Amino acid sequence: MSAGGLPRDTAASVAQAVLLEGVSKSFRSGKGSRTEALRDVTLSVPEGKFVTLLGPSGCGKTTLLRIVDGLIAPDIGRVEVYGSAPRPGPDIGLVFQSFRLIPWLTAQANVEFALRSLALSRPDRQAQAHEYLGLVGLTGFAQAYPAELSGGMKQRVALARALACEPRILLMDEPFASIDAQTRELMQVELMRLWARRKSAVLFVTHSVDEAIVLSDQIVLLGPRPGRVVESLDVDLDRPRWAYDTRSDARYVELRRYLSARMRDLVLADPQSEFFQREPTSTETAAPENEPTASGR
Amino acid sequence: MQANPDGGKHRTKQPTNSMTTGAADAGRSPLPDPPYWQGAAVVGLYRLGFLVLLILAWFWASQSVQRNIIPTPWATAEAAVKLIGEGRLPDALLSSLSVYFSGYLAAAICAIPIGLLMGAMRPVGKTLDVFVFALSATPRVAFIPLIIVLLGLGPQAKIFVVFLGAVMPIIINTYAGVLAADDELIEMARSVGAGKGRIFLRIVLPGALPFVVVGLRIGATIGLINTVVAELYTAVTGLGGLLAVYGNTFRMAEYFVIVLTLALIGVVVTEILRLIETRLGRWRQRS
Ligand SMILES: Nc1ncnc2c1ncn2[C@@H]1O[C@H](COP(=O)(O)OP(=O)(O)OP(=O)(O)O)[C@@H](O)[C@H]1O
Ligand SMILES: [Mg+2]
Repeated sequence: MSAGGLPRDTAASVAQAVLLEGVSKSFRSGKGSRTEALRDVTLSVPEGKFVTLLGPSGCGKTTLLRIVDGLIAPDIGRVEVYGSAPRPGPDIGLVFQSFRLIPWLTAQANVEFALRSLALSRPDRQAQAHEYLGLVGLTGFAQAYPAELSGGMKQRVALARALACEPRILLMDEPFASIDAQTRELMQVELMRLWARRKSAVLFVTHSVDEAIVLSDQIVLLGPRPGRVVESLDVDLDRPRWAYDTRSDARYVELRRYLSARMRDLVLADPQSEFFQREPTSTETAAPENEPTASGR
Repeated sequence: MQANPDGGKHRTKQPTNSMTTGAADAGRSPLPDPPYWQGAAVVGLYRLGFLVLLILAWFWASQSVQRNIIPTPWATAEAAVKLIGEGRLPDALLSSLSVYFSGYLAAAICAIPIGLLMGAMRPVGKTLDVFVFALSATPRVAFIPLIIVLLGLGPQAKIFVVFLGAVMPIIINTYAGVLAADDELIEMARSVGAGKGRIFLRIVLPGALPFVVVGLRIGATIGLINTVVAELYTAVTGLGGLLAVYGNTFRMAEYFVIVLTLALIGVVVTEILRLIETRLGRWRQRS
């Protein structure tokens, strides 16, 4: 584990999929006051790497992804995706926190909707949508409407929609947060399998320490109010991680203890948190919190 | 909108890929759904029962209120047969329906584009909505003298009265439907690279459709009311005309036939629109 600033890679020649430099963003909120969502954020996602943004609620994770997708512009700072300013489109895949499926379209048509931005003929588009629905295991539900799908299945459709465009970078905003613990673990494995097929760069957002460690090559810890980078560290666990009991690996346990304590400190030190100074910060005795624990592996 | 001929009910519910069979896929009932017409039949039966109750109450009223004010159901039925046989009811019906549908159709054709435009272009909407609300709050009967001066007593004047009544609720509801567009879906569409036109056609418009249909339904009701109002206030014709004639001469059985005919038109039109509404909303989960 190497805690430290950026750039962290020894080989300076590694191409960057995403580059953020000194990015700040604030929103007008309520009565003329401003919420500082991000302050001076600098980070990068190397090509083919899985990078996770880990941070408590309200630290600007969603805002950061929207900036990287080109949906909103930062107030100041430089944003580059593969060397140029980001533009929303099929090159950048974004999986939203809430699934955002079009309710009056079938699963198949939802995936096809995204493919319309590519220059594909109608049969090609249909075939490609069908293929990616199959990849996430939903061939039998292609003609189902979102209202007929469970939460986990909806998120798989959303994942298929993002993957179907074969983006050069995939952005994922807490995609498994609203899914039950058991399904979430299966989805994590499935995501890793899909990612192993075609290693595009991934910028993944979560507030779950376990999810961050299981999935990532690198974890960027964000702190709240204003959202900022607190720390960045590598995860040196062998891949494929579904092939062995990752959670009992000594490095996993150590990393988990450390990150849990840092997360807890960030929340307790946040004046807007309901836990603010409720408890003396106890980095040493950080007990496992209510994260999903290792099971069924 | 996506038409899906075998949508909804008859579908394999087994995921094909065993690797991904998550907990989420379990728990689907193995029992087949009851056929849809069973529910409809039960409701139909209840409605029939209520209708019988109404007719009984009508009969009771016809016996207990002083004589000749309320005709018996039987006398009313006889009057209906006579009016149909003489051709008076069909003539009046045809005349009223032509006024009604002309005015209503013209209202729908004008109102939907106006509502969409007001919703899609915010400055246009913000400028016009105050005036639309003002006009819709003014009783349209107030305009009838002016309309008579401008258009006379003939069918044009009547059609315009119907148009005025139906157009406002359709505009207001269409406008509200566009404004109620789901911002999250719009952002999703932007993120996959959809342009303004595609977002409007595929996200905003289908989302506004249920609102438009509600507007059409309210417009249909007000339009029917205004048809009768127009027939009473301008040249006395159609069902409204017969209503006035029989009402003023205390021919209550005939008068009741006309009232029931109007009620029937209202039911048929709103039921058709309700049917359209449920067809459009097939993607909603069946409960
Ligand atoms: N469009 C907006 N208008 C006003 N304030 C906003 C907007 N978007 C975000 N914010 C504010 O910016 C801060 C960061 O929001 P953001 O949604 O990025 O946090 P997050 O880390 O994704 O939180 P969560 O984990 O709860 O999803 C919050 O205080 C939020 O209130
Ligand atoms: Mg968020």
